[in-house]
This record gives sequence, C-alpha cells and structure tokens, in this order.
Amino acid sequence: MTMNRVPNPLIDELADDLAPVAPIRPWHGALLVALSALATVVLVELVDGLWRGITTGAASSIFFIANGMLGLLGVAAAGAVVSMASPRVGNRHEGARWSAAMLGLLPLTALLALGAGGLYAAVSSDPYGFECFLASAGFGLVTAAALVLWLRRGAPVSLGAAGLFTGIAAGAIGSFAYGLACPIDSIDHLGIWHVAPVALMGLVGRIAVPPLVRW
Amino acid sequence: MIADEASMAHMMAAAQRGDREMYRVLLGEVQLWLARYFRKRVPPAQLDDLVQEVMMAVHAKRATWDPTRAFYPWLAAIARYRWVDHLRKVYRSAEDELGDHDAAEDSEEEAVMARMSLERLFVHLPDRQVEVIELVKIEGLSIAEAAERTGQSESLVKVNIHRGLKKLSALVEKAE
Repeated sequence: MTMNRVPNPLIDELADDLAPVAPIRPWHGALLVALSALATVVLVELVDGLWRGITTGAASSIFFIANGMLGLLGVAAAGAVVSMASPRVGNRHEGARWSAAMLGLLPLTALLALGAGGLYAAVSSDPYGFECFLASAGFGLVTAAALVLWLRRGAPVSLGAAGLFTGIAAGAIGSFAYGLACPIDSIDHLGIWHVAPVALMGLVGRIAVPPLVRW
Repeated sequence: MIADEASMAHMMAAAQRGDREMYRVLLGEVQLWLARYFRKRVPPAQLDDLVQEVMMAVHAKRATWDPTRAFYPWLAAIARYRWVDHLRKVYRSAEDELGDHDAAEDSEEEAVMARMSLERLFVHLPDRQVEVIELVKIEGLSIAEAAERTGQSESLVKVNIHRGLKKLSALVEKAE
C-alpha cells in the first residue's frame, strides 16, 4: 500500500482531531426500538388498560391476525430505519416494503367482505373508530421520537425513505400497542381505524422527519 | 492501486479506535478514491471542494461505519449523498466548464467501477431528466441554453431538473 499520494493539509487536520469513537451497532438501535415499544405498551396499560379478554379467549382470530400484522410491520419498518443510520449502497429495505403492502390486506378484506356500502355504513357508525385512530397515532410518537434520535446519531442518506419508514414504524407500533387495549375486533374496525394511523404517520414522517435528520 | 476492501476496513476499524497514523493513510486512500469516483460527474474546479466535503463527512460520521460491514459501500453511500446535495446547490460559473482533464487511470477496471457507481443512479432516470441535469448542473449551461440545446421549454427544463434531483436523492442507497 502507498502512503498519501496527494498532500492535503485537511488530512493532517482531521487526523489530529481524531478521537476514539464507539461504532454504531444495529442491535443498540434494535434495543432502543424494543424498549420504546415496551414503554408504549406500558403507557397504554396505564392510560387505558389492556384488554383482559385477550387472555381469556374472548378475542376473535382477526384480532390476533391484525395486531400481529401491525406488530410485524412495526418491527420490519423500525429495522429498516435502524439500518439506515449506518448507510451503504445496497440498502433496499424490501422487508419493510412488503410488510407495509401486506397490511393493505386488512382494509381490502373488509371491503371485499362487507362491500363498499356495508363498509361505509360500518365505519361511519363506529362510535370508537376515530378515538382508536387518534390514540394509535398518538402512542406512536414514543417510537417516532426514539427512531429520530437514532437517525440523528447516524448518517441517513435516504432522507425521504427514512422519514416514511420512521412514520410507518411509529404508526404500526402505536396501533399495535393501542390495539391491545381495544376490544372491538371486527374486520371493519381493525381494517380501517387501526390501519389508518399507519398511513397517517407514514405521511407525517415523510414530511416532518427529513428536516430533523438531515446532516 | 487504491487499497482493497479488507485493508480499508482494517484501517477504518483502527481509526475508530483512535489510531491516527492508520487514519492518515486511510484518508489518503479515501481522497484518491473519491477523486476518481466523482470525475466526470463534477466540474474539475469543484472536484477538490466536494472531495474535501466528503472527507469531512467521513470524519464527522466515522462512528456510523459498522465494522461488521464492508467499507466501500458505506463510503459510496456518503459520497453519493453529498454529490446529490452538491448538485442541488451548485450554480456554476462559465469558466468551470468540463474539459479534457482525465487523470491517468490506475487500471481500466477500477475507473469503470468508480464511474459505474454514479452512472447507476442515472440509469433509473428518464433521458430527458439526465440530459438537463448534465447540461445545467454538471456542464454549467444556463436554463435557456439547455432549453435550446434539448428542445425542451425552459419551464420543462426546470421541472425535469427538479424531478430528476428528487429521484436521485431517493436512489442514493438503492441503485447498484
């Protein structure tokens, strides 16, 4: 190997300024997300109380399927954000994309099962729908804050995608956590009011996060 | 020859631990690699500034390289990010025009690899966007000149530059 072939005072300056650093570790980011998700669930328990019917067999299959999909999407999207803090050419985040697409099955199922008119009637007469929507998005802010902090420590180079996935992860984890407190387990309620926060937070993240993590 | 992946990863890991001598050697190699990486995609008068800017970014963000991953894809991602940023900001003066400034190449293969990396971003853009970005942002033509050269209206040139740059920034990590 050769030594510096192009003399550059900047190299000396940077070398003189060098101090040891702890390299970024993806599992630190994963731990941060796990703790923030746990904190969200605890917060939901304190504020609203988790639904005890989950453990007594009162919940329907779709309750577990919908909340399971939200939880997995949260993991996949948060995983994409965690890896974005350490950039590299070749980061594609396909897992998060496919998981997000898969969540679309819930509103689609509601539409096919109830028909457009039936779905509209069910959704518009749902007295708790909007409350679930707002609460899920609100509880998502815990995860959003954790991911923004993580990205600010890192060097994200795809700011739009980082914002979008931060929002999706926050919406999905918020909706998952709040879903554990919501006893309404019909496909129309879950497919619309518990999925909409993910779309809302994705949009908000796409717009609001890039300026916060630009470097 | 610029140092290979294993040597660079080894030096970067040492730099993260605070080894200044290794870091000096690493930065020398990084400088050389970047100069080649950006060649033909940056006006020569701006090349040094951009290389230095990326080196400072590498320094500031050195903790974000994960030692379990390869070094060059990390460096390339930062280089692309700064390059797109640079294209957004740049308003070149006429004297910066690209000329026959190609430096001697260590090997044909390396030069192709280096150039491919930025080329890979452009292949995802429609020709009309690539054309006006090259003319205005890299060769330094005015909007009016680019419009005349391409047959696009001036507002279309602006729209295509705007859309093209937006797409480029979304491709920084993705395009291989």
